Amino acid sequence: MKSKFGPLVLSAAILTAASYVPTIRSQDAPQRIEITAKRFAFSPGEVTVKVGQPVVLVLKSADVGHGIRIRDIGVDVKAKAGQTAEVKFTPSKVGDFVGHCSVFCGSGHGSMTFVLHVVS
Amino acid sequence: MRLFRAIAALLVLLVLAACKANPPGKLETSTVNFAKHRFFVGNKKQKNPLPDTAATLADGKEAFSHYCVACHGMDGQNTGVPFADHISPPIPSLAANDVQSYTDGQLKWILDNGIWPSGMPGSKGTLSDDELWSIVVYLRHLPPAGSQGVPDMYTH
Repeated sequence: MKSKFGPLVLSAAILTAASYVPTIRSQDAPQRIEITAKRFAFSPGEVTVKVGQPVVLVLKSADVGHGIRIRDIGVDVKAKAGQTAEVKFTPSKVGDFVGHCSVFCGSGHGSMTFVLHVVS
Repeated sequence: MRLFRAIAALLVLLVLAACKANPPGKLETSTVNFAKHRFFVGNKKQKNPLPDTAATLADGKEAFSHYCVACHGMDGQNTGVPFADHISPPIPSLAANDVQSYTDGQLKWILDNGIWPSGMPGSKGTLSDDELWSIVVYLRHLPPAGSQGVPDMYTH
């Protein structure tokens, strides 16, 4: 009895473990968010992420140099003219956090805002 | 007819005299300063939401360098600004008591709205609230006059 079910149980265990691997990977894999900056707006202008889940914020500049700084959660990324830059972080608190362009880009620079919604 | 011509000439002279940009006298300066501090510049009671730290000071210095330096110099005391004394009213040193005696809220109001009819423009929308408040911190901790050199735009 023991010898008959042994390999069966072992196979089932291996299959179960294997089925968990992708799940674990997807939970650990950071959420990748691409944002395009162009005088004088971010697109998209707001994004929702989950607290505790790693995020990679990819900033693409479509014209001059731009940046996103979210002071309250210590995020700052700067992209040179026409280039891309990214920053990885894990939001640790729930709330709506406003970011601003952190590279002076002209007369509308001060109105370039981005909102990060962090939900539970 | 002769009287009419004389009056017209007098009026033209008065208009021309009014257009001449002389440096304001002491009485004019003190009167305008009093009026600005007491009546015209608002937001007296608002506190700076940013902490007065070295990091905020560094942010303020950087934000100040975007274009404030063109008129106020790197040090906020007009160092290297070739026209500082040639416009009316002259550009004040931001370290002067007349400026430092504004509250933080009033300094932010001036940064937002400018001061008409002086050359000081408003920067609301051009710089973010965050940057403007950090500039207020920089204004409270200006470096010694001349210590920051001349703005790049005046060195070549």
